[in-house]
Amino acid sequence: MTSLRRPFPWKFLITRLVHAVFTVLGIAIVAFLLLQLAPGDAAQALAGESGTADAEYLASLRAQMGLDRPIYEQLGAFLMRILRFDLGYSFRYGTDVASLIFSRMPATLLLMVSSILIALVGGLFFGITAARHVNRLPDRLISIFALLFYATPPFWIGLMMILIFSVQLGWAPTGGMINIVAGHTGFAAVLDIAHHLVLPALVQAFFYFAIYTRLVRTGMLEVLNLEYIRVARAKGISENRIAYRHALQNAVLPLVTVVGTNVGTILGGAVLTETVFSWPGVGRLMFDALFQRDLNLLLSILVISSIFVVIANLVVDLLYCVINPTVELR
Amino acid sequence: MMPATATERGAPLLEIEDLRVAVRGRTELEVLRGLSLRIWPGETLAVVGESGCGKSITSLSVMGLLPEALQQIGGQLRFAGTILPTGDNAAMRKVRGRRIGMVFQEPMSALNPVIRIGDQVAEVILEHEDISRAAAMERVVELLAQVGLPDPARLAHEYPHRLSGGQRQRVVIAMALACRPELLIADEPTTALDVTVQAQIMRLLKQLQKDLGIAILLITHNLGLVAQTADRVAVMYAGRAVEEADTITLFSAPRHPYTQGLLRATPRPGGRREGQLPLVEIPGMVPSIRQLFPGCRFEPRCTHASAVCRSIDPPSHTEGATRVQCHHPISTLEALS
Repeated sequence: MTSLRRPFPWKFLITRLVHAVFTVLGIAIVAFLLLQLAPGDAAQALAGESGTADAEYLASLRAQMGLDRPIYEQLGAFLMRILRFDLGYSFRYGTDVASLIFSRMPATLLLMVSSILIALVGGLFFGITAARHVNRLPDRLISIFALLFYATPPFWIGLMMILIFSVQLGWAPTGGMINIVAGHTGFAAVLDIAHHLVLPALVQAFFYFAIYTRLVRTGMLEVLNLEYIRVARAKGISENRIAYRHALQNAVLPLVTVVGTNVGTILGGAVLTETVFSWPGVGRLMFDALFQRDLNLLLSILVISSIFVVIANLVVDLLYCVINPTVELR
Repeated sequence: MMPATATERGAPLLEIEDLRVAVRGRTELEVLRGLSLRIWPGETLAVVGESGCGKSITSLSVMGLLPEALQQIGGQLRFAGTILPTGDNAAMRKVRGRRIGMVFQEPMSALNPVIRIGDQVAEVILEHEDISRAAAMERVVELLAQVGLPDPARLAHEYPHRLSGGQRQRVVIAMALACRPELLIADEPTTALDVTVQAQIMRLLKQLQKDLGIAILLITHNLGLVAQTADRVAVMYAGRAVEEADTITLFSAPRHPYTQGLLRATPRPGGRREGQLPLVEIPGMVPSIRQLFPGCRFEPRCTHASAVCRSIDPPSHTEGATRVQCHHPISTLEALS
């Protein structure tokens, strides 16, 4: 027996952060090279839209964007910019990439965080309930619905919900994030955003909810058969306390891993939902950038996404040792 | 010393009467086939028998914690004069941990790995008594000291994985005794432990029994342990108590052929020098609950069996200080020779 409170794992954290820098740079290089393989470039896309594709115009566009230089030079310049936290300029939007991404970030974060929270609360409750009534009616119903939500594409659920709740019932707006015409301010604006948020957040949550419910159910079933649960029953502990205090904490490790992955993909994870609900988020920005061959913008989003993933993984590892005291970080 | 008879001892603390437990939905598949046992306050009753004879199912029945697949189909459990509501989970929760404590076989898996030891013990007290958390934690530290754990105040803040198997079993015992129950069920409490630690744990249990005056239902297949610790012994075979007697009588004059077989299969220190026969095993195996036949369950393995054994299941009868279920119990003289 050594100390009671474990010291904060500084060494682990620093090692992992150093690794993270190299991981992100590696991802940046791979992403850059992969995108070079895609046919066409930003100059072609721009020229195509403006309807003039003569060689001189293309060449001048390429020279302006630096696309005429050799690939290794472009890569070098790209990496140097990233190391300086300079994400460059989007010729497409005519503004610098950083402010473009950060102006879209709040919308995406709001959508993803609220949908993951909804899914977490629902997944935990229904997963635990299913496990406690395994093979009986509540479990059967929950499992069927979880399977349905898991198997149905979110964009289809989104379209159906728009049809029912927006078009037919008129309860919620069909898309967007703010009612610009109304010009709400203060608390009214918050309510307005919440009103717009409900449907996309639910649609995005359904998918996560299905996964979380199944994970929690499986984990709980495994734990509820263990000896210490029987011991807890022999102590006269209530079934509620056994489920939520004794079993849950031992059953959530797989859930934490998956939630961590979902949080990691927070920027690009809602592309379809954002598109269906014309939600002004980063996912759609990335989607558009892909078609417009706006490589600077696309690469920047990819790099920022990879930073999110790396941080989420790190947080998951730290959470592991908080949740399960037998986990040692090295 | 002659054992006191039932009338001298007063009322039993726990009375298991004709307990029948079967597979849920298939009542002909009986795991316990009319088990009767009695435990008086403050005594140690050892229940012995081969694996699969229903020892653990007996203890789980008393706790009302039968697995989903099993179901009590008959019989009665009386505890301190009242019938145990084994089918009513809410009512049984007030009994479990408070009036009947239980110690399980596997100390390594009996503690929740993510809850501090002190909290796991305090939980029992907080569940059953109207007491503040701080007061409960004080009791916990006392309890941990009482079960012989070093530095209990510090240990209460530890997680189970920092403790050895013997230490964990002490924690489990502290949990079981936290509310001073009248009965402690110890289901193979030392089987998973080192031999030296086994002796320590049994000594601790006996000491606590003396201090607190609790009755112990000791479930084991270790006859050596029984000889050292039990006041009375019940031998179980295929879901029934085939012989019940005080320890000295049972070891010196076993009446049931199965008991005799068990004793012959148990080594005794110095037995060879004193001319003890080499160890003899009981031929065959415990019959499966799927094998249905009318006679004595031990008949296929019994050397004393006759025609009546094949057709009629022997009823229980008392011979001297022994309760035995056998058509041809071994006479005292025969047993002594």
